Amino acid sequence: MAYSELIKNFSHVRAYLRSFYVYGFQHRSEYTQKSSRMYDNERRRVESWLGKYLTFIQDKEGRRVFISLDSRDIPQNPLFSAFRAKSFTPTDISLHFHVLDILQTENSLSITDLMNSLTARLLDFNGEILPDESTVRRKLKEYVALGLLCTGKKGRETVYSLPDSYSDLEKWNCAAAFFSEVLPMGVIGSYIQDRMAERCQFFRFRQHYILSTLDSEILYSAAQAINEKRLITYSHNNQNLKVLPQKIYIGTQTGRQYLLVWSPKRRKFSFQRTDQISNLKIDEAFDVPQDLEEKLKIYQSHAWGVTSCNNQSCTEHIEMILSIRAGEDYLLNKLINEKRCGTVEQIDETRWLFRADVYNTLEMVPWLRSFTGSILELKGSNSVVIKRFWKDLSDLANLYCSGDTGKSGEADV
Amino acid sequence: MLFHEIYGRYYQVTANILKEAVRGNLTRGKLNAMIHSQAFSESILTMPENLVGSRWSLIREDLSTPLKNEPHMPLTILEKRWIKALMLDPRIRLFEPDMEAFSDVEPLFSPDMIVYYDRSAKGDDYSDPLYVSCFKTALAALREHRKLKIRWKSSSSTAAALTSHEAEAIPMYLEYAEKDDIFRITLQDEMNQLTVRISQITECEMTSVAVPPDALKLKKETRESVTFELTDFRNAKERVLSHFSHLEKETKRLDDLRYQITLKYNSSDESEMVTRILSFGPVIKVTSPESFTELIRKRIRAQLSMKNCSCDVTHAQK
Repeated sequence: MAYSELIKNFSHVRAYLRSFYVYGFQHRSEYTQKSSRMYDNERRRVESWLGKYLTFIQDKEGRRVFISLDSRDIPQNPLFSAFRAKSFTPTDISLHFHVLDILQTENSLSITDLMNSLTARLLDFNGEILPDESTVRRKLKEYVALGLLCTGKKGRETVYSLPDSYSDLEKWNCAAAFFSEVLPMGVIGSYIQDRMAERCQFFRFRQHYILSTLDSEILYSAAQAINEKRLITYSHNNQNLKVLPQKIYIGTQTGRQYLLVWSPKRRKFSFQRTDQISNLKIDEAFDVPQDLEEKLKIYQSHAWGVTSCNNQSCTEHIEMILSIRAGEDYLLNKLINEKRCGTVEQIDETRWLFRADVYNTLEMVPWLRSFTGSILELKGSNSVVIKRFWKDLSDLANLYCSGDTGKSGEADV
Repeated sequence: MLFHEIYGRYYQVTANILKEAVRGNLTRGKLNAMIHSQAFSESILTMPENLVGSRWSLIREDLSTPLKNEPHMPLTILEKRWIKALMLDPRIRLFEPDMEAFSDVEPLFSPDMIVYYDRSAKGDDYSDPLYVSCFKTALAALREHRKLKIRWKSSSSTAAALTSHEAEAIPMYLEYAEKDDIFRITLQDEMNQLTVRISQITECEMTSVAVPPDALKLKKETRESVTFELTDFRNAKERVLSHFSHLEKETKRLDDLRYQITLKYNSSDESEMVTRILSFGPVIKVTSPESFTELIRKRIRAQLSMKNCSCDVTHAQK
């Protein structure tokens, strides 16, 4: 098939965009999941969509392609461009403009009248596109479902018309510009911005993870299933799972998005990373047990992050004492603002105690390490995690302070 | 249907070209220029021949069109439902949208469906009337290209009491920090660039001084870079590269397990970068610049000097 810069299925390009954006160290020969020709086509498409954001570096092993940008510098996510590359047929685009134009002039028409108007116009072009009535009917049905057309009755006949136009869209310009970057499925906000006479460009976003937009279709289906209390099925690590989605979890420090789901089969909650989900389908409505909401609240109250655990009736305890001296208010603020399900108490003038009971203390380690320089004590019921924390610190000291002398000791576990 | 051709770049550009055709203003040069500037970079290879003639049956060879009206696509249900979801967000108070719109559709999602599990608990208070008023004034000044006069209070690391400041400057942009859920405004006068949290502003007034367009060029903050070696164990490659993916970077594979990564960051974010790099533990070893390595070393030494800290550095490599 001839190359086209448009694509039919968005899921094919997700992995390439991720790889170009997050990793950026791979050469052409390292993309082994699909053929080299497919890599060439996808790379060419991404270059066509993203232009200046795609960078190339030639080294002795070949050419590396990557997307390099500081998202803080730009008012709009460039990856939204990928959503504007859906392929279509000549009939699709021809009907789109002619049908909407005919109904702008005629108010409401039956399928017969519409066909007559269309035929008169298209014959003007030697009739290369002259769709039959069933094709037009299908398109009209699709446009009614999208909200682009309305149906009504004139006598016994179904008539088609345009919906009432909305004249105050400009009032949403700045709100759409802001929320399209910070809310799930923000690409829809960018579609709305496409309709504005001039885009609002007054916002910037600090530590802004733009890649999550690639999972918008997954979140769209998940949100629908949550709203309608429906089960979903999807593939994850070559397994097919059937679960009830409950919440969308978003990491503001990783850009990752997760579904918190309830498995009716295993009777457990778990998290699924949305970028590892494929083939998601919405299934039947689920008769939600009465106590599920209460169980969810309890589960959430001990979830530090998004690590699933098998034993959800058992938590791990952790305690950390920090030294916070005068002039280190920023450290205290950090502790208080980032404590999540933990608690903070002042022991004396300079010592503060953090305590938490969570399902998995291992996932707290990066956060605990962010207090390096101020940790007086660290204790916990999971001794493996505590040992690892101190071992990592010891390894760090070996990496950076190998010239230092005099400090040694035993792990306080 | 979120991925649909009606939202696509080809449909958009075609609509703009048809507008010109309906007005009778379309020329070959204009058509090509519009495709070149508005579509994808390779669209120019196929779009003109499809657009003019019988293939798409929209524009005749003489560049006229049978369309009688300038193209207009109504809002889709998806777009209305997304806008409806915005109405439930507490930050919508910062804008002045039409809250009565789209009573015929349900919101696409609601705030209680979404959990930002690692966000700071002390975000800005979007219900504070002073905050909302300052934000709206700042946004209006940006929209109308006017100078802004502000007074604000801030604390310093040396003094416990808040100190007052004031400035009259050109607003450049509003910056939102997703991790902290706060807004800042960046302003610029002849000499300096200034960034102030909206929550610290006590008075905000739009002046009558119009800002000339050439004054709107932002002086970019100095960028620093840090280079480190990453060892890929405990899934470190995925975790580290995802975490820093928002920054301009270059990544290079050194061998099967090790990668060299160079990140560029704003100089004012240096201490935050130290903390973020430290949070990954020994899978990252900063190699340059030495000044950054020294900041890491200082934090580790401070930790080693803590009373109960227990690290064994006896195996330190010389």
